[in-house]
Amino acid sequence: MRTLEEVQATLQIAKLNEEDLNPTIHCLSFGENVSSADYCLMELDDTLCKHIEAGQSLVIRGDKDERAVLCSCDKTYDLRIANTSNLLLFVPGCKTPDQLPITQDRACVVHAEIWGFCNSYWEPRKQRPKLKKLKKLLMENPYAGVPLAGQEESKENRYTMQDLLERIQASEEEIKNHLVTIHACQIDGCWCGLDFDYEMKLLSHVTQLVDSESWSFNKVPLQTSLEELAPLEPREMIEHCLNCYGRRYTDKGEVFYALHEDKVCRGLALMLLQNAVKFNLKEFQEVWQQSVPEGMSTRLEQLKGVVLVDRASSPETISLLKVEDLPEDTLERFNLLFTLREKWTEEDITTYIQDLCGEKQTTGALLTKFARSSLQNGIKVFNSRRPVAT
Amino acid sequence: MVQIVIRGSVDGCSPPQWLLVELQGEMVSRHNSGLAGNVMGDLLYTKEGVPVLIVGHHILYGKLVKLEKPFAIPMETDHQGLTSTSYTVSALIKQKLIFKTRPKPIITNVPKKV
Repeated sequence: MRTLEEVQATLQIAKLNEEDLNPTIHCLSFGENVSSADYCLMELDDTLCKHIEAGQSLVIRGDKDERAVLCSCDKTYDLRIANTSNLLLFVPGCKTPDQLPITQDRACVVHAEIWGFCNSYWEPRKQRPKLKKLKKLLMENPYAGVPLAGQEESKENRYTMQDLLERIQASEEEIKNHLVTIHACQIDGCWCGLDFDYEMKLLSHVTQLVDSESWSFNKVPLQTSLEELAPLEPREMIEHCLNCYGRRYTDKGEVFYALHEDKVCRGLALMLLQNAVKFNLKEFQEVWQQSVPEGMSTRLEQLKGVVLVDRASSPETISLLKVEDLPEDTLERFNLLFTLREKWTEEDITTYIQDLCGEKQTTGALLTKFARSSLQNGIKVFNSRRPVAT
Repeated sequence: MVQIVIRGSVDGCSPPQWLLVELQGEMVSRHNSGLAGNVMGDLLYTKEGVPVLIVGHHILYGKLVKLEKPFAIPMETDHQGLTSTSYTVSALIKQKLIFKTRPKPIITNVPKKV
């Protein structure tokens, strides 16, 4: 270990004047066990740093063939390795000038050990969570109603929250929010999806009851609904349907639901379009309006992201195209969209690429990269950059 | 799928803060004896707070910089028999001493004019 005299001798040779220097001198040396492979640095943004300082945890998730992601309790980050040509040394015992005593008469040596060093670090970048797999898993064995007499309900391929955390590359909060979005239900502690036809059956029971009882769709009484519909379906499922399509509230001690107009209209539209490839737009709009509860109005805007309207054909048609069914990969998504339709207006295509945007990325940037624009009848349209078979 | 937990701390307290020293280039030991256990150099500060590093016969002037994005140093946790891998953040780095300027050689033997 170097002594003060040795250090002062070095200063003299280096022609540094002790008077110009802070009296504390750090003598740095490499620790006995130092090597560069064992330690990794991870860059943290403000949110992650506060997480760690609060003692909370982060989780790295990924399958062997997947890219690793870093999850906090409510956000997902892509993990990449960044390299630097500089050498980064980490020194635990080293102080900065503001941490050193200002007044000190005599020079002194502090021995500080270099704990480790490296040239690269992990760089997390916020990204959209990979949730498509969640719906896929939950639809392996969706709930489709009470099984017929003699048949047993299969409990396979139903997942607990813990199971989902082990399979989905997303944070817990993002998973929980998505479960609500896709109307998943929990049966005996396991999550599963709801079979679409069954979900529509439940919704029809509710809307028909509302109409036959002449209730306002903003004030649907829970208790009465359960009593009236119990002979048809399990109570938990009726309540689940009301939770998916309405907002729960209490009035004078009684529980009511305010049905969400947009959600109900959208659900019933999906039911109508489910079995047809294309529907005559005008006919569809008439049938659709008739199918919704009294007092609700249907509007095409409610179907943004789930239907494609073709105004170029004669007669105009409408067909099902759900964003959630499209590929998660950007290039695959664009290829599919251009296979379905050669030229898209900006308004139409934006709906189907909005969810691809990363942080600080706009749909405009995506279109510039993945599509080519041209003018058709004075309107800007986008088509594929390469030949696509339609 | 693999889940690797990185814990903020073992006892709920904020991790200690270390300092990062960033150098351009490579560090080689004089006699090729490897770096472990060897002295690296002397770090001093001028009265104005400028960091100065003397490594071998080089002298480097640097700057104290606050990191825009702090670093965490996760180290494998000692799990005493548990099978799953987990890490704990041993330290956070919020500042660095960066030495970007060209090292100046320290001349120890100035030949006397004859």
